Amino acid sequence: MFIRKFRCPKCHRYTRLSGNPGERRVIACPFCNTRGVIVFPGTPSYSQDIPAIEVQHLRKEYAKIVAVNDISFTVKKGEIFAFLGPNGAGKTTTVEIIESIRQPTSGQIKILGKNIKTQFNQVKHRIGVLPQEFRSFERLTVKETLQYFSKMFDKTMNIDSLLTMMDLKGVQDILYQNLSGGLKQRTGVAISLVNDPDIVFLDEPSTGLDPKARREVWQVIAKLRKQGKTVFLTTHYMEEAEFLADHVAIIHKGNIIAEGSPESLIQRYGKGSTLHIKRCKDPVALDILKEEGFEAKSEGNGDIVITIDSKERVLEVLSELRHSCVEYDGVDIRRSNLEEVFLQLTGARLSEEES
Amino acid sequence: MRLRIVAADFAAELRILSRSKGVLFWTLLFPVMLILIFGAIFSGIGEMEYELFVQDLDQSEASAQFLDSLESTGLITITKVNITSDVDTYIKEENIKRLLIIPEDFSEVIYLAQVINDYNHSVNLTFHYDQSEQSNQAVSSIISSILRQMNMQVTDGKTVISMTGVETISGEFSFIDFFLPGMIGFTIMQTCIYGSIERNTKYRKDGILRKMLTTPITRTEWIVSKMLYQMFLSFISAVLIIAIGIIVYQLNIVIDVYFFILVISTSFLFTGMGMVVGRFVKDEESAGMAGGVITFPMMFLAGTFFALDEMPLVLQYVARVLPLYYVNEGFRNSMIYLQYDDALFHTGITVIMGILFFIAGIVLTKWKEE
Repeated sequence: MFIRKFRCPKCHRYTRLSGNPGERRVIACPFCNTRGVIVFPGTPSYSQDIPAIEVQHLRKEYAKIVAVNDISFTVKKGEIFAFLGPNGAGKTTTVEIIESIRQPTSGQIKILGKNIKTQFNQVKHRIGVLPQEFRSFERLTVKETLQYFSKMFDKTMNIDSLLTMMDLKGVQDILYQNLSGGLKQRTGVAISLVNDPDIVFLDEPSTGLDPKARREVWQVIAKLRKQGKTVFLTTHYMEEAEFLADHVAIIHKGNIIAEGSPESLIQRYGKGSTLHIKRCKDPVALDILKEEGFEAKSEGNGDIVITIDSKERVLEVLSELRHSCVEYDGVDIRRSNLEEVFLQLTGARLSEEES
Repeated sequence: MRLRIVAADFAAELRILSRSKGVLFWTLLFPVMLILIFGAIFSGIGEMEYELFVQDLDQSEASAQFLDSLESTGLITITKVNITSDVDTYIKEENIKRLLIIPEDFSEVIYLAQVINDYNHSVNLTFHYDQSEQSNQAVSSIISSILRQMNMQVTDGKTVISMTGVETISGEFSFIDFFLPGMIGFTIMQTCIYGSIERNTKYRKDGILRKMLTTPITRTEWIVSKMLYQMFLSFISAVLIIAIGIIVYQLNIVIDVYFFILVISTSFLFTGMGMVVGRFVKDEESAGMAGGVITFPMMFLAGTFFALDEMPLVLQYVARVLPLYYVNEGFRNSMIYLQYDDALFHTGITVIMGILFFIAGIVLTKWKEE
């Protein structure tokens, strides 16, 4: 954001206004209501029409190994884009090529409409990056670290505001080396925000964290969406992608095998939701449900699994069981998830691929 | 180049340094400890008994009693020098650290003062000493103390027996004269090579280099700032070592333009060398080993601890291809021996190597991953 003074052409009084780089705005003087035009310096932020990131036919080869195989995708402004896949799938290679850390073998990448091959310096100040397994300077405090990285940029966020936003105010004077894993990652995300970027790249930000710390990092990432930032997230945690992402691209062995919102992917590739009847006491319950047209099967120990496609269907099943006086210990509704999508598409579980 | 970014990076490195006890120890305290330890071993500090050469021109009972008093302290062993010997020649030829001359009127002055109470005559002993030997201060104090006692006994407080010190001009430099400039070269080498290799590997492993690539800082700004930091460390270490040399060993050290050129070019030389090696070292574990592979041979073969002419001929040839040899000789000839022709030659070689290695370091240092 830029702050400029507007001088009224009629009453000559000044008014302070804030605006985006390159923004042109017609305003009315608050004192005499005379209309005037103010133009903020700098090049305009990307327009709604230009995607945040455009990747076309990206390919990366190491000797004879193809790490990324002719992939193309687009990241829209303001969305959280999750690049989901197991270790070695090509996630980090892709994101590091987009960040201009690695050279592609072929393909074209544009960030905010700028070709990174020739114009990366023009977008450096508009992106924030948290590299994979990033560890900052161990003997600088959190605040000193943010101050250090902010000195690299012309336009920066207020460090105190950033500390407050990232909930790091309480640990601002603690050396980085003495922080917990979760706080280190939060500091890493904060570092990526010092220049108030339009696009934030977070490469596996929650890897190696305990579930509580992981949740904390998710909350931080969710905050970024509220601020209108575009987030490019790489992860191998399907629940992370499902929780955070507006758009998911699943990458496997260097190829994008599916792309879309988590819901659409689950709907397209998932088996739908299932209702689990636990320890059903009546041996004929399965037959009763089948006779009534439910897609039911036994899972041993008296457990019955019924595929359902709507809330009403759940009520119908429970009503039928009650009507037939069937006793059971409990019910459990399981939603289809991205893990199932991955299983469906690759024949292996994401967690199995990891190991 | 934006100085704001260079200054910010330099300031951060200094802050990190001030909190890194290990780096402070190895960079500043360790060289000082080495100088004190080696200096003590080779310069007489810590001797339990001091050998004192004495030319007794008086050859009297009084002078014999005085020498007995010195020996009775248990700290001094007397070695007599022939009264016909020329002291200056003797000191030079025998490389004597300390020699005391008792004049021939020694007993006469004592007799006049003690028996006739005639205090108008006095006698002056001459103490020749090598100023670079720290132990001579202790020996001088012991002799002065015995003389004070004698004055008390003989005159009841008036001084008729005194001593004058004469610094020896032996024509030979002491070990510490040789060692201290070598220590400066060695310390700069260690600091720059290890600093450069370890920083490169650690920052690469921690993703800091990858992070930097995505910020507006340029490779030149980054390298300049690190170079400034290494030079700052080099100057601090060198000044500290020189201060120890002057304060503890009373060395006559000349600091002139050669000193500054040598510290700067040596910093460039070894930082460049570290950058070249750092390019090929992939992890932190091998960083220390890689540093050792370079520094260890130079430490022992480049004339830091031992003079080159004490080594076998083959090793002398080896030394002449080691950059540290030229650094050490440059420092020695400019700071201590004052042989400016030699200083110019060795400094020139150091500057050329500094430029070459630094350029190689810049060319080979890669931020981008493959």
